[in-house]
This record gives sequence, structure tokens and C-alpha cells, in this order.
Amino acid sequence: MTINSEPEALLSHLQNTDGSATFSYNGYTIVGAANGPIEVQRRDELPEEAVVDVIVRPAAGVGGTRERHLESLIQSTLRQIILINNFPRTLIQVVLQVTTAPENEYVNAKLVQGSSNLPILPALLQTAVLSLLSAALPLTATLTSTSLAVIADGQSNKIVVNPSPREIETSQSFHVFSFTSHDELILAESEGSFTMKEWNDTFAVAQRQCCSPTATADGDTAMDDDSLAGTGLKQFIRSTLEGKIASDLHWK
Amino acid sequence: MATASRSLTLSSATFAKLTPHPFLLANLQPPDSSTPSARTNGRQPRQARPYSVNTSSLSHAHGSAVVRSGDTTVICGVRGETLLTSQIPNYRVPQPGDTASNDELRDYDLIVPNVELATGCAPNFLPGVPPTTLAQTLSTRLFSLLHSSKLLNAGDLRIYHNKAETRDDDEMEEDNGEEATKEVKAYWVLYVDVLFVSFDGNPFDVAWAAVLAALRDTRLPYAYWDVDREMVLCSRPTTAKPTTPLNIRGLPVACTAAVFTAKERQKRGGGQYWVLVDPDRLEETLCDETVTMVVDNTNGELKVLTISKNGGTVVGPALMKEFANVAAARWKEFRAVLQ
Repeated sequence: MTINSEPEALLSHLQNTDGSATFSYNGYTIVGAANGPIEVQRRDELPEEAVVDVIVRPAAGVGGTRERHLESLIQSTLRQIILINNFPRTLIQVVLQVTTAPENEYVNAKLVQGSSNLPILPALLQTAVLSLLSAALPLTATLTSTSLAVIADGQSNKIVVNPSPREIETSQSFHVFSFTSHDELILAESEGSFTMKEWNDTFAVAQRQCCSPTATADGDTAMDDDSLAGTGLKQFIRSTLEGKIASDLHWK
Repeated sequence: MATASRSLTLSSATFAKLTPHPFLLANLQPPDSSTPSARTNGRQPRQARPYSVNTSSLSHAHGSAVVRSGDTTVICGVRGETLLTSQIPNYRVPQPGDTASNDELRDYDLIVPNVELATGCAPNFLPGVPPTTLAQTLSTRLFSLLHSSKLLNAGDLRIYHNKAETRDDDEMEEDNGEEATKEVKAYWVLYVDVLFVSFDGNPFDVAWAAVLAALRDTRLPYAYWDVDREMVLCSRPTTAKPTTPLNIRGLPVACTAAVFTAKERQKRGGGQYWVLVDPDRLEETLCDETVTMVVDNTNGELKVLTISKNGGTVVGPALMKEFANVAAARWKEFRAVLQ
């Protein structure tokens, strides 16, 4: 069971949507579609801003309470980065279909309800942002997200970036952080048992993953081998879009 | 009623209905310095509503609690139902040398929380509609917290068939020695039902407080496997076989705050903001960003069990540290109320 450690993205591959993206990273593959601004139901419309509607569909089965929770988290996050005031009384719809999720051979296969809600959240957010960029919806910023686990390692604890399902299960705490491209923390979800000091340490590691090096406290950070150093994730979004635009304009 | 004056004056209630955002802003940042700044409900930004807890009010539940925090009132009932292991499709008898994880609470869904908001607790929660996103989100958050906090012990929920007892009919001794003679025949499944009697903001904190108080109040009757009838029977509570309380590990308490920004659309960076602890319904509609922290200070060192921050970019690590202190104070308050 190999999990690819490099993110991959494919943009604008769906014909009938305004924007679409397929993103895979760390065992998760999600197909996202963004439509908007489109017609909204009379009962849902807001007079001064666009309604952002997020739909998450799991790999197997129909969505349940877990998908509603993920949808509400993603919706409150996307509302902050989309320029919703430009499109009053319209709907911006983002649909995220999970196609693959990494397996954990150590647990009972039935476990859908029992596992945590959070591990898939970074991949969902990333797919949503790429879909919105593909749809050319005006955004104030883009997002990068990462997940980390704090695992007991002898006497001390070590922080693992992008942990596997088995590592999440045996960890003491699991954290998801999301930063805007202006290096502000927009989402922080943590569960388990930890102290504030541990949280600050994981925050620093996540910041190094997602933000520009100048945003972090130390200027010259040593590049770690096992993590995308510095602007890795931000750079990935940029290079994906540059590649897409280059191929679109190849006729010029 | 408009008086014959040059300027149009509105009562504060009308002001609140027409333009709620400037109304709250005017309360927090009064135009003249003589009026003290406060929230619309008279509280200070860091002031939460006091809890009041009443337990064992439901006669047919194994445990129950009614928790009030201001105008938010939640009632939680815990009922245990038996589930035979023969009816669990993926049941595995735990072997002594098992390396795989054996978390019975998660594997067999032994805790089933549910939140019912459509009770008429607020004008926008009228009965007769399927669960809204908020109700579903609350249910799943309670479920996640119940499992990740390791509050309950699977051992309390096992129902055994003690084979040693059936061999000697005369001796009714407690045979604790040989584990091989005890077989798990069934489990108690706890149905934790949370109903909102009235809703005035901050549903998660109060719902969790009610669940915690109800679980602490829960007493399960003595249940055993009857070999002859091949079913689980419960004994009426007697001095020999009393109801047993659950072993609750720790005391996690939730604390939520909403961030109110001066400008309705928070532009990047800057801008004045207030962190309002324990928001009410009006404040929740005006705030985009919320922070929830679940802490447990039972062992002296503050352990954080959950941090959930979403909807904005105001709260960073510095504010989170301050908020941890607010959550610790809330923990002390709640523990005092429970005793």
C-alpha cells in the first residue's frame, strides 16, 4: 500500500461545470466541481451577498452527519475567501466527490461511523480552492491546508506531517490547519489530548508547511527531507495553474 | 411613535431589529465615553452565562440532566438497551495477544448520541422538519468528542455470562479469578438523546454539558445472561445487586466564543474586533468566526481535548492562548456547579 507523497492536480476536466479540479495527495483523491454565480432558490437567497453551498459526497454510500459537519466547516471557510458581495442574490455551489481514501488494515472494515471526521478535510479544502480557481471566481486569497499528528516516541512526542490512517489512530492528538495566502490562520481543528504548548509546536510546523518562509519566526529554516519545505503547497497551486494557462494559450 | 422632533429617534428594540450589526457595535463601542461598553445582553465580552444543572429528572431514563445557561435550556436522557454479541455482524472475541486495536465503543457503536433541535425552541426551529445541518453537525461533534475524550469505559458496558456460577447452583460467589469462564454475551448500548427546550445561542457547550451531567448520573441495572432462557435479563435493584454508575474518566468542559468585527466584511488584516464568550442568538447571527475549546483540568495540568476554530482569520496563536485561560475558568465554574 503505497501512498503518493507528491500532490497531483488536474484542472477543468469536466465539460458542463464552470470549474473543476481533481486533486490527489496522501492517499485521498477528490473530484471537485464549482458552479457560480448561478440562480438561487428564492427561500435561500441573501439580499447582499452570494450563498455559498458546499456538498461533500463520500466514496461509499450517501452523506451522513459527518459530511454535514465537513460541509459546514468548508462553507464557513470559503465564505471568507470568495468575494460574495460582488454577486448578491446568487448561488455559488461547490461539489466535492471523494473517489479514494487511504485504508487502514488494522481496524474493522465496517468502520465508517467510528473514525474521525477530520483527516479528509485538508484534501477537501485544497480541491475546493482549485475548483474555484478553475471556475475563475473572484477570490480574496487562496488556501493551503495540512494535517499533523502528535505521536508518542519514547519519552517525548514527535510531530508527523500528513499522517497515515494507522498513525492517526495511534496518535495522541490530530490537527488540521489551514492558512490563507496572506499567511493568516483561517481554520484550526484539533482533537485528542494535548497541551497548549504542543498545539503551538504543531502550529509552527504547519506554518512552515503552508506559509512563506518570511512569515515564520526563523528566517533561514533548514529544509526538512520529509516535508514539503517552505512554500511547497502554495508553490504547487501556482505551478498547477501556470501549467494550465500555458496549455490553454499554446495556440498563441 | 415618532414625536414631532427634527431628528428621527428609534427605540433600541427597533434599532436592533432593523440594523443589528450597528446596534451591537454601538453597544460595544459607545459614541460617548460616559456610557460603559457592554454587549446587548449587558454582559462583558469575557463574561459567560452561569450554568445551572438538575439531574435525575426523567423517570424512565437510566440517567438524565437538564442544563440551563441563560435562555438556552437542554435536556439530555441516557437510556441503555442491550445488544447481543450474536447480533453484531463484525463481532470479534478479543484474544489475549491481539495487536490490532480493539476499541469496542467505536467498533460496535455502543454510544449513540442524537441532537433534536426541531422542538420549537426558537422561531427558526419549528417541529416537523428533518434535522437541519446545525442539528447534524452538533450530533457528529458530540459523537467525536465522546470517543476522542475516552470518557467512557467499554468494560462498564459488557454483560457477561459467568460460566462458573452455572456449575455450582448453591454457591453464589463472585468468581473474579479465571477470566476464561467469563464470556461477553451482550453489551449495553447507550442512547444519548439531547433535546433543546429553548435556544439562545451556544448550543454545543450546553449540549455537551448536558451529556456529561447525564452520563455522570447514569446508573445501569445488573444484567446477566440467563442460560436456560438464552437471553439477557436484568435484576431489579436490590442491596445485593444494585445499579452501577458508569466510570467517567475526567471532566471535559466546552467553551465557545464568537468574534465580532467592526466592519461587516472583514477586510484583510486590521479592523477592530471583540471576542464574545458564550454568544447568544443575536451575536451568533452577526459573527462569522467561532472558536470552541474543550478542556479538562482534572489532573492539575490543563489538557486540551478539542480546538475548533473556523470562519475567519482573527484568532491566531496569541488569542488562542488567552482563550485557553478563559476555558480553564469556565471549567472551574462548571465543576463547582456539578458538586
